[in-house]
Amino acid sequence: MARALKKIPRPVFGLLIGLSFLLPLYFTLVTSLDTKADVFRFPPHLTFDWQWSVYARAWHMFRWPMYFGNTVLIAAVTIALALTTSILAAYALSFIEFRGRNLVFSLILLVLMIPAEAHLIPNYITLAKMNLVDTYWAQILPYGASVFGIFLLRQFFLTLPKDYWEAARMDGCGHLRFLWSVALPQCKPILFTIGLYIFIGSWNSLMWPLMVTQSHHVQPVEVALARFLDGNSVDWRRLSAASVFTTLPVVIMFLIFQKHIIRGISRGEGVKG
Amino acid sequence: MGILQSTPVSDVSGLEAERSLLRKKRAARLRQAWMALLFLAPAALFLLVFVYLPSFVALAIAFFHYHLGGASSPYIGMTNFSDALQFNIFQKSLLNTGYYALLMVPSILIVSVCLALLLNRVGTYYNFLRTLVLLPYATPAVGTAIGWLWIFNPTYGLANGFLHWLGLPVSGWLQSPRMAMPSIAIYSLWHGVGFDVIIVLAAIAGLPKQMLEAAAVDGASAWKRFWKVTLPLISPTMFFILIITTIGTLQSFSQIYALSGGTGGPEYSTMTTLLLIYDTAFKYSHLSYGSAMAILMVIVIIVLTLTQRYASKRFVFYQ
Repeated sequence: MARALKKIPRPVFGLLIGLSFLLPLYFTLVTSLDTKADVFRFPPHLTFDWQWSVYARAWHMFRWPMYFGNTVLIAAVTIALALTTSILAAYALSFIEFRGRNLVFSLILLVLMIPAEAHLIPNYITLAKMNLVDTYWAQILPYGASVFGIFLLRQFFLTLPKDYWEAARMDGCGHLRFLWSVALPQCKPILFTIGLYIFIGSWNSLMWPLMVTQSHHVQPVEVALARFLDGNSVDWRRLSAASVFTTLPVVIMFLIFQKHIIRGISRGEGVKG
Repeated sequence: MGILQSTPVSDVSGLEAERSLLRKKRAARLRQAWMALLFLAPAALFLLVFVYLPSFVALAIAFFHYHLGGASSPYIGMTNFSDALQFNIFQKSLLNTGYYALLMVPSILIVSVCLALLLNRVGTYYNFLRTLVLLPYATPAVGTAIGWLWIFNPTYGLANGFLHWLGLPVSGWLQSPRMAMPSIAIYSLWHGVGFDVIIVLAAIAGLPKQMLEAAAVDGASAWKRFWKVTLPLISPTMFFILIITTIGTLQSFSQIYALSGGTGGPEYSTMTTLLLIYDTAFKYSHLSYGSAMAILMVIVIIVLTLTQRYASKRFVFYQ
C-alpha cells in the first residue's frame, strides 16, 4: 500500500487530496440539483440533474433575505466596533509609554486562555439585566473587543519606526492625530484581514445567537438554517439547496480574499474558531 | 517689574531649571499614562464586562439557586456541584468530550503535518491545492453539516457508497451510538485541518535551509530528515497546535449541535458537556446548575492545559 502510494507523483496525489476536501461541497450541490427519484438511489452518483425548481421552493419557505440582512448587519457593526477598540488599544500598547504596559498586554492575552464556557451564562444574565436579550446588540456587544485584532495590530505598530512619532511630536502632533493620519493608513491590509476574520466568525456563529434570540426578525442565517434543518429533515434536496445558498456567499468571499486569510493565519497564529 | 523679577542669579536658576524640567517630565509621563488609559478604556470595558467579570460571576452563581427576574435566589452551597457530579448524563458528557478530544487532537496533528509536507512546494498549482484544503474552514458549520448529514446517511449516503465500492461492510455513522462521535470527528477534521496545515506550512517555510541541505548532503533519507531535523525544529508550532486544538475541541458546539440534530444523540453518544450546559441553562433555564457544570468543565480544561504545558518542557525543542 505504502509503496503504491509512493509511486503516485506528488502533483497527482496533492490533487486527489485537494479534491477530496472539495467533494462534500460538490456532493451537496449534486444532491440539491437531483431529480426526486435520483436522490434515493444507491450507490449515489456524482453527476448533475439540473433540477433548479427545488431552489425556488427552499427560498420561498423562509424569509431568507431578512436573515441575510441580519447576518450582514450584525457582522458589519461588530467589525466597526471591534476594529475601533482594537486600534485604540493596540496603539496604546505600542506607541504610548506607560508603566505596566507589558502587564496590560499579558492580561489581554489571558483572555485567550479563558474558555467560552466560563462566561456564557453570566453574559446572558448581563444582557438580560440590560434588557438586550433578543436584540441585535445582544449578538454584537460580547464581541466588542477582539484580542486577535489587538494582537495583530500591536505587532504591526511595533514595526513602525519610532522616529515617525518623534518627528510628529516635534511638529506638535498629538497621539490621536498621529494615529489617524500616519499609523492607520499604513495598516489597511491588516485591518482588512482582521475585518475578514470577524466577518467569518460572525457569519458562522451559532451557539450564542441561539441562546440570546427567539424572535425571527433579529436572527442570523445560521440560526434560521438550523431551524430549517429541524423542520425539513426528510427533504434532502430542499435542505441541500438551502445549504448551498447560505454557504455560497462565504465561499465566494473566501475565494476572493484567500490571500488575506492565509496571511492572517500564518502571521497571527492566534485564534481559532 | 518684569525685568527685575526675571533677572537671574545664575546657580539658583540652574537648580530651578532642573527642577522645572523634572516637573515637566513627570507631568508629561502622567499625561502619557492618562492617554494610555483613554486609549485602552474601550477595549478594556468590553473585556471586563463580557470576559473577566463574568468568569467570576459564573463561579458565584453556581453556589445559589439563581433565577432571572424577581424570584429570590437562595444560597445552596455546593449542591449544584455535587448534583452535577452525580448526574449520569453529566458524567457521560465529560467522557464524550474527552473521547472527542482524543479523536481530534492526534488526527489533527498527524494529518496537518502530512498535508503540509505534501503541499510544501511553491507555485500557483500548490497555492490552488492549499486553497482547496483550507476552503472548508471558512464555511459555516450548519450549512456544511447538512451536506455531511446526507453523506453519512446509512441508506443513501456517499460514505456508505464509498465503503460499498471498496467492498467493506457499511456503517450506521451518525445513527449508530458507536460511530456517531467518530463521524463528527471526521466532519471536524475536514472542516478544521486546513487552518493547521497553513500554520505548519508557515513554520516549515521559516526553517533554516542550510540545516536541511546539510542533512541531505550527508546522505540522510527524506524520512530521517523529517524525524531528525524538520520535526524537532517545528515542535514549538506543533505544541501550539496541540494547545489550540485541545481548547477548540473542548469548546466545539456548532458541528455537534447540527450533526446530532441538537439532541446529543443517539443515546447521548454525542452529548458533550457544552451541549449539556446549553440544554440545562437555556432549554430548561437552570442557570445555576449550568454554571456549576461550566465551572467543572473549566477546571478540567485548565488542568489539561497545564499538563500539556508541563509535558511540553520535555518534548518541545526551543531554539
